[in-house]
Amino acid sequence: MLISWEWLADYVTLDAPIDQVVDRWALSGLNHESTEWVEGVPVIDLEVTSNRADCLGHIGIAREAAVLYSLGLKIPAVDLPTSKQSVHEVLEVENLFPEACPRYTARVIRGVKIGPSPEWFAKRLRTIGIRPINNVVDATNYVMMECGQPLHAFDLNRIASNRIMVRPATQKESFKAIDHRSYVLDPQMVVIGDSKSALALGGVMGGSDSEVSETTVDLLIEAASFEPMAIRRTARKLKLHSPSSHRFERRIDPQGLDFASRRCCQWILQFAGGQLLDGWIDTGAESKVSSRISLRRSKITRVLGIEVPWERSQDILSRLGCSLETQQDSLVALPPSFRQDLTREIDLIEEIARVHGYEAIPEDAMVPMVASAARPKDTMMHTVRSIACASGFSETLNPSLIGKSSIDRISPWTLQDPLGTSVPLLEGASHLRRSLIPSLIAARLHNQSQSNRDVRLFETANVYLSQTEPLRGDPLPKEQYNFGCIAESEPRLVRGVFEEMIDRVWGQEGPVLEERMVDFDFLDKGSSVAWFLQGSMIAWVGSLSRLLAQANKIDGPVALGELDLDLLLASARSVPKLRTLSPYPAILRDLNFIVEEGVLWGQILSTIEESAGELCKEVVFREIYRDTKRDGQGKKRVLLTLTIQSDSETLKGEQADAVVSRVVSACEAKRGAKLLAG
Amino acid sequence: MALDQFLTALDSMLGEARACLETVDSAEALEQLRVKYTGAKSGALKSVQKMLAGIEVKDKPAAGKRFNEVRDGIEAALSQAAQRLGCSSQQESSGPVLDPTLPGLRPRLGTIHPITQSLEHLKEIMGRLGFNVTEGPEIEDPWHNFVALNIPEDHPARDPLDNFYLATAKSSDPAAQTTQPARLLRSQTSTVQIRVMETQSLPLRIISLGRVYRPDAPDATHFPMFHQMEGLWVDRNVTMAQLKSVLRLFATSYLGGDVNIRFRPSFFPFTEPSVEVDYWWNGQWIEFGGAGMVDPNVFQAVGIDPEVWSGFAFGLGVERLCMRRFGITDIRDLYRSDVRFLRQFAT
Repeated sequence: MLISWEWLADYVTLDAPIDQVVDRWALSGLNHESTEWVEGVPVIDLEVTSNRADCLGHIGIAREAAVLYSLGLKIPAVDLPTSKQSVHEVLEVENLFPEACPRYTARVIRGVKIGPSPEWFAKRLRTIGIRPINNVVDATNYVMMECGQPLHAFDLNRIASNRIMVRPATQKESFKAIDHRSYVLDPQMVVIGDSKSALALGGVMGGSDSEVSETTVDLLIEAASFEPMAIRRTARKLKLHSPSSHRFERRIDPQGLDFASRRCCQWILQFAGGQLLDGWIDTGAESKVSSRISLRRSKITRVLGIEVPWERSQDILSRLGCSLETQQDSLVALPPSFRQDLTREIDLIEEIARVHGYEAIPEDAMVPMVASAARPKDTMMHTVRSIACASGFSETLNPSLIGKSSIDRISPWTLQDPLGTSVPLLEGASHLRRSLIPSLIAARLHNQSQSNRDVRLFETANVYLSQTEPLRGDPLPKEQYNFGCIAESEPRLVRGVFEEMIDRVWGQEGPVLEERMVDFDFLDKGSSVAWFLQGSMIAWVGSLSRLLAQANKIDGPVALGELDLDLLLASARSVPKLRTLSPYPAILRDLNFIVEEGVLWGQILSTIEESAGELCKEVVFREIYRDTKRDGQGKKRVLLTLTIQSDSETLKGEQADAVVSRVVSACEAKRGAKLLAG
Repeated sequence: MALDQFLTALDSMLGEARACLETVDSAEALEQLRVKYTGAKSGALKSVQKMLAGIEVKDKPAAGKRFNEVRDGIEAALSQAAQRLGCSSQQESSGPVLDPTLPGLRPRLGTIHPITQSLEHLKEIMGRLGFNVTEGPEIEDPWHNFVALNIPEDHPARDPLDNFYLATAKSSDPAAQTTQPARLLRSQTSTVQIRVMETQSLPLRIISLGRVYRPDAPDATHFPMFHQMEGLWVDRNVTMAQLKSVLRLFATSYLGGDVNIRFRPSFFPFTEPSVEVDYWWNGQWIEFGGAGMVDPNVFQAVGIDPEVWSGFAFGLGVERLCMRRFGITDIRDLYRSDVRFLRQFAT
């Protein structure tokens, strides 16, 4: 809202310098955007919050200043001579759309002479960025900028049959506005029309057919109120925002119509001459009166934490325009019609607080201590991020919505379609991620384009999965908190990172995971592995298929993996517990198995852990190698070491042999493993 | 001491040492001999070296030269014996040697994203002030994102163009389409306030942090996805003075110096009074975020009696704090995944 400092002086006499007044406004709710000098006049741009429609005119801003400085406010008196002819003789108004236009009023002036406004008047408009047009249009704009009520002047003689109809637009009705562009309307929009066509788009913009021109002699001055919702919808839909729609969207003073209409006629009579017909046409009732609000003195202190002198509170409210009935410790306030935002006790307390000044509220009040602790999730995330960083991965954050490319379709967690938004987040990105991998591959490609080599990235974020079977009620879609990573390295690095994360977060007592090869179509066939917890996948690792890598021109190896952190958290241990070290020596036994190529380390490991018994303290993978000449095709050798130790005695060789023999027979039976002698 | 005497002592020491070292048959014995002759404290060479001091000045060069020869001879014999016994002598390194001309081999470490660092920083400070971290879903229903937050149906914040509503699935059955409940990406973390007040017992002091979404054309200071921190304190007698005090404690902890804050009146549907919060830093007021006392309508929406309980809430944009802290000038850089950018925030 642009305010002319010179214009403001019509309503309030401010002795304080501009900067000081601007500061007071800012600290009482009118944020200062800028002050500029235009044609020698300071013009102040103030930000008006959406609840303060009363401040969308100079009088409203002047009132705020008058309240802050305890000054009088001068509202101009309007005293108009009228002719004997009644307005009802020349004009009829029918309101067919009171839901969107609860009140429509009209006055008629006949015999005006259109010409330029006086220079001082035109200058006031120019300084606040409004182009002067002629003495009639300028008067409507001036009054809007004075009291916030939008007005419109029609050329009366262009209104067919002297009859105005306020009605819904017809479907696809065409309307040519004064900006000389055509708009296609719909039945939720208000049209001010005559018997033939639309003359104005109610509350938004006038039409070019009925606009006031050089030849106009008779005028209809409209002052109406429109429902905010209807106007907002219209302005939005047509992308047609005007000073009028801006004000109507914020709900103008329902009792301000008469003043604005008469004030506008006053200027027109003064600048363009003519005669005002007697009376006005008013289709609506005087709209609802504000309701009375009780305020308890004690409540002010309870909310603000400070005592505001009771007389001060009363003074503030009454200067703001409330009528008060005051008692010892309470009052009843009737807010003015231009303050539709004041309906509750708390609204009055806010008015008192902001005018009294928030600087009166101390910033060293007592804040009692309470206990608070980090959540298990925070502890886990610290572990997860530390391991990722220690393994050379840098964290990235990516938008939650992606597109539809072959990479974007990667979806290891669900076969369901992605959820979509009606508006894209970024260009082409209107699908919620079902996996972090598409973003990470895009990140890799970005870095490749910047010649950043050997990139390792991770992200921890939600992925969004539609519920396959709606449960009772209307559940929200599932959000699964994932860790995902990408590396220009061999995939065993990613696998090792996941193994370390799971081991550290769960400790020794974590649940048993089942390890399986999986067949995701975006990974190299037969080279990916996943872990399952009671049938639910908790993590997977693999390398991007050659097909996708080539199609997307990705250089170098692409190791990928994703881990479900919600599942990881579900079994997180709180604190590691000591396992006493055995004082007795350990026996190490190396085993060299020949197995089929397809046997997983996890399968061998779980077989050993199930069969070895409690003396086996540790199983360490050493290496794998292939000797096809001796073992035949499709076989590999797995070398591993068992640590065998007792907590209560020094083991004898035979006891270790017994462990080894159990392990060997179990591996042979379950995994088809053959022990290589020696 | 006479030069002759000194040289004789040296020669006999060398002879003896060579004899011993030629026949030494274990690493332990070798080590004993090494200590006997070349030990730094009381080795034989050390004792002889001390005698050098007593040699007449004119004889010193000759004595010194011979001493060096003998020392080299003993060391050569030591390393020969070591070689014969297959163990390393003192000069040889126990492993790879440091090439002092080369730079160090640095561990390869990743970095934490500056937004995550900021989130953790905020959690840590608010934790000290007694605020527990809570979370809520990013995909919300209109009740939690709007209705319970006192944002009525006709409020501009609910405009479909100002929000990311989920597109309804294409279904052949038109009835199924209309019954699909509206879902949207939350436009503020205040939704978590509602979820917490619906489920947790009072009093409570919480913060919630996370992603929020608002349609905004991306530029240097806007991105349609960003992070917010929301704080909420509900108790029997929470006042605006306590709001100001908590925020001052926060700002002081965050900025690491005693900081003043100020309130400017503002308007949010879910708080009343509502204020914008600024802090005074480096000679200017800097916008911190929005705050206010929980609106009685919000309490009523979640079944809390506003005559018994009061509370305050505040919210702030994490990106703005983060960018100011790290000197980042373009918000889009945060979401570009460029490692040259990410690696700068190693801490």
